[in-house]
This record gives sequence, C-alpha cells and structure tokens, in this order.
Amino acid sequence: MSRHDFGNEVNNMRVDRRTFIKGCTMAAAALGLSETMVPKLVAAATSAQRPPVVWLHFQECTGCTESLLRASHPDIGRLILDIISLDYHETVMAAAGHQAEQVLQETINKYNGKFICVVEGGIPTKDGGIYCKIGGRTAVDILADVAPKAAAVIAIGTCASFGGIQAAKPNPTGAVGVRDLVKGTPIINIPGCPPNPISFLGTVLHYLTFKRLPRTDQLGRPLFAYGREIHDQCERRAHFDEGRFVEQFGDEAHRQGFCLYKVGCKGPGTFSNCPAVRFNGVGAWPVGVGHGCVGCTEPEFWDTMTPFYERLPGVTIPGGGEGIVTGATSVGMKILGVTAAAVGIHAAVGIGKRVVKCKKCNKTPDEQE
Amino acid sequence: MRYQQNLAWSVLLRLFHWSFALSVVVLVTTGFYIHFPWTNTMLEGGRSFPVATMFYIHFIAAFVFTAALLARLYLLLFGNRQERFWDFLPITPKNIVNLFKTIANYLYISDKYDRRLGHNTLAGIFYLVTFILGLVQVLSGFYMLYPENVVWQTWGLRLLGPMQQARYLHYLIMWYFIFFAFVHLYIVVWSDIWHKEGLISSIVNGRKYTPDKS
Repeated sequence: MSRHDFGNEVNNMRVDRRTFIKGCTMAAAALGLSETMVPKLVAAATSAQRPPVVWLHFQECTGCTESLLRASHPDIGRLILDIISLDYHETVMAAAGHQAEQVLQETINKYNGKFICVVEGGIPTKDGGIYCKIGGRTAVDILADVAPKAAAVIAIGTCASFGGIQAAKPNPTGAVGVRDLVKGTPIINIPGCPPNPISFLGTVLHYLTFKRLPRTDQLGRPLFAYGREIHDQCERRAHFDEGRFVEQFGDEAHRQGFCLYKVGCKGPGTFSNCPAVRFNGVGAWPVGVGHGCVGCTEPEFWDTMTPFYERLPGVTIPGGGEGIVTGATSVGMKILGVTAAAVGIHAAVGIGKRVVKCKKCNKTPDEQE
Repeated sequence: MRYQQNLAWSVLLRLFHWSFALSVVVLVTTGFYIHFPWTNTMLEGGRSFPVATMFYIHFIAAFVFTAALLARLYLLLFGNRQERFWDFLPITPKNIVNLFKTIANYLYISDKYDRRLGHNTLAGIFYLVTFILGLVQVLSGFYMLYPENVVWQTWGLRLLGPMQQARYLHYLIMWYFIFFAFVHLYIVVWSDIWHKEGLISSIVNGRKYTPDKS
C-alpha cells in the first residue's frame, strides 16, 4: 500500500487520522511493541481484507459494550468500531428482528472460518439453556452454531470468560464461560468488569496484524494485559512494604493515600494492567481514587473475592507482618525499652549499694576502707 | 607466677559490648546487601522481598546499635571507674604518659607495658572516635529511615546536608566500622598473647588478671 492510499484509507474513517494513529500507538504500547510496528498495525487495521466481527450478547448487563462505546474518551470506542467491521451487534446495529438474524446467518456462512466472534455475557446451561434466549434460540444453541465457524472467539468481560456474576454461588441458571462450551476454536479471554477497552483493542490489532491471537496465561488471558499482578505494579506498593495502611475508609491514612490492603484490596491476587493503562483516558483507576481492587479479572471473583472490604488472606507483609518501617519501629521501641530498664537496674543497684555502704559506715566507722 | 584477679567490667558494659558487636556485624552484612543487592529473582514482588527483608533486619539491628550506644553513654558518665570517660582519655598527665608508653609497646619499641585495669589511652581514643562515628551513623540512619519526620529532617539537613550526602556518609562510615572490627580483633588477640591479663575473657566474665608482684 502506497503512502498516498494509506492516507486516503485513514481519511475515510469516522475518527480523524491523528486520533487513529494515536489509538494504534496506544495499543502498540499496551502490547509492548516497538513504535516501528505502529505503521504495520495501522496498515492491518485499514486493510480491506480485515475479517468481519459478530458480537453475541448473552447473560450480561451490556456494561462491557457501554464502557467500550461511552468512555469519557470516546475516540477509542469509535476507533474500535472503525477497525472492526461489525456485521452483527445487537446493541448498535440498525437492523432488528428477522432482518438481524438473517444478517447473522449470512455473515457466518459467507465468512465461514474467517470472521471473529466476540462474546459478551455468560451462557446458562441448566434446564436446556432456557434462561437466555434470542430470536427463539438458546444462548447455548447460538454459540454452538456461530463459534465453530469463527476463526477465533474473543470472550469480552468476566461473564463471557468465566461466567461472572450469574455463575456466582448458587449459580441458579448453570451459567458458564465460553471456554467451558467451545472446543476447537481459538479462544481468548479479556476479563474485567468491565475490561479496559485498550486490552480489547490491543488483542484485535494483534490478531489483524499478526494473524494470530496474542500469547496467553493458563486462563486464556493475553499476557500483555494480564501478565502481572496489580499488587506488583501498584503506585501505593511502597506503603504496603513499609507498613502504612488505611484501617478505615476516611481515616487520616486514607486521606494520605496509604495502602488499601487492610480495607480489602484484592490487588495481591489479581492479574491486570489497570495500574499501568488506567481508564477513561483520564488516568483514573480504582486504587488511584482510594478504593481497593475487587479482583474483577479473576475466575469466580464474586465467590472468592468477597467480602470486598475484608483483607485477602495469606498475603505476606514484609517486616513481621507490619511492614518494614512500622515493624522495625515497634521492635526498636521494645529494644530501647529493655535498654532503659537495664540502665535503670544498673543505676538502682549502684544507688542501693552506696546506701547500704553508708549505713554500714555510719554504724561501724572502723569498717570503712 | 601468681595472679591477682580484679573486676574490670560491669554486667551492663559486657551486655553493651556484645549487643554492639552483634549489631555491627548484622548492620555491615545487610548494609552491604542494600548497597549492592547481589541476588536476583524472577519471582514477582508479592512473593518474595529480599531487599525489604534486608532493610527490616538492618533497621532492627540499627535500634540495637542505638540502644547499645545510649547504654554506653550512660556508662561513660555513671559507670564504674574503668567505664567513665576520664579514665581512658588523654586529659590527665597520667593518661598522656600511658598513651606514649602504649604506642611504644605496641610498636615493639619498649617491652614495658603500662598496665591498666580499664582501657589504655590509645584504645580509649579509638573507642571515643567509634562512639562519635556511631552517633553520626544513628543520625544519618534515622534521617533516612524517617525521611518525612520533622525532627530527623531538621537535624539531618542541619548537620549532614541533603539526603544523598547523608547516604554517602553513612556508607563511608560503614568502612570505618569494618576497619575498626578487624584492627580491634587483631590487637585483642595480640594483647591477650603478650600481656597475659586475660583480656579476651574479661569481656565475658568481667575480670582481668595482673601478675602478683608481692
């Protein structure tokens, strides 16, 4: 593609060229790619051969779509809609009813083995899957129809990845994630409640550019976004190590911006890039604004991460459980106390001896040396 | 040869000596690690904290060091005769004579050894230098441990300068303590062999021996 064509292609888009390049650069940074890769990402994202996308909604709140499209930084949402050729998306498409279902069937048959399937929401399996039906078909049936024909499935959000809130105990509808039902098609999970749009954008651009999904961890989450614990990237980490904790919301430590671990932060058990990438294009994320992480990118987080405001068990705080500075200070005060006692005993014995000696010398002056 | 046994060091001084010695060994070991963290790990920080752990041990040893110095300060003023500072500093004619005699003896110039129940003046001078440098370590150390604390910040800035200067001084003085430890050990063993007063055991049982001339 010549430079001229490339410019035209980008100019035809709904976002301006500058925003488009900026978005691709942000995704490249999130993916850990060199800036020299940005033109390749841009070329892939504007290629006429890029695969269409079918977006399925099951048991969900549409929060993932909403956060994607209505971010305070709307350019990312528009950028995603520009990059992917969205053939079927119940929330944003103009078609409805039979017409919409017809589009779905046409797309999956025409682009058999080539389109990308994005799934939002959990899939209920109990009682024949009757708890979620679209156009008369159960979610299980729709997924079984669409997923095997897709080139890859992207499960967006914790519900599609691991079942989410409807899979929380006692899981009345038998909800599961995509990975529990679909075999044989590559699946990537972008969990989060909601996930960061940049993580989704990075995954899509990676697929368009390299024709394969990014490397994942054992839970199918891309390593570029879910490779490290929140705790290890946290801006409040020094307070954890040195033992400065918020004990109660609104206390002095909270106002000082200390570590939220003791008021229930789940950062030590949660993998995500939130501290680095942040949200809404304004550099905000939960811990940054004084609320602990609730662990929303982890499987069964509603069951394993609650109560949200009680501390996560089994986390080692260095310095004897108090933090190195606080711990050393309390040990140090005891050491100084013991020393003061030793000096006091020494002084008392000295004074006592002198008193005894003087009594002796008063009574029997002969014994005086 | 008959020996006369005399009590030189109180229990408190012996406790001071060993807690001070132990804290210096721990401080130098962990301090070296903090200066140059020579281990490495691929474990994420939530699983292992080698540097934080070394800092923690260093801080606790620092409190032992500080407590030992304060106990010694008390003994310098209110200890027994050998423990008070005017017994071993070159501030009396007797002590100044002792200084030169000790140097001559240490350099094998003179065979005569000016016996003292407490420290000789040469040792005394170095103990005072060590004590003062110890106080500098305490000030620079607490200045770095509590950087936001107004008291340490005020005195640290006033006496030592900015943080990096305090850090550098703290590091340099560590080398004095290493130097002191080796020289101290050498002279103690050497003196124990030559002067036969039970110098090494005196810091355990508090007693020194002098040949009975009578």
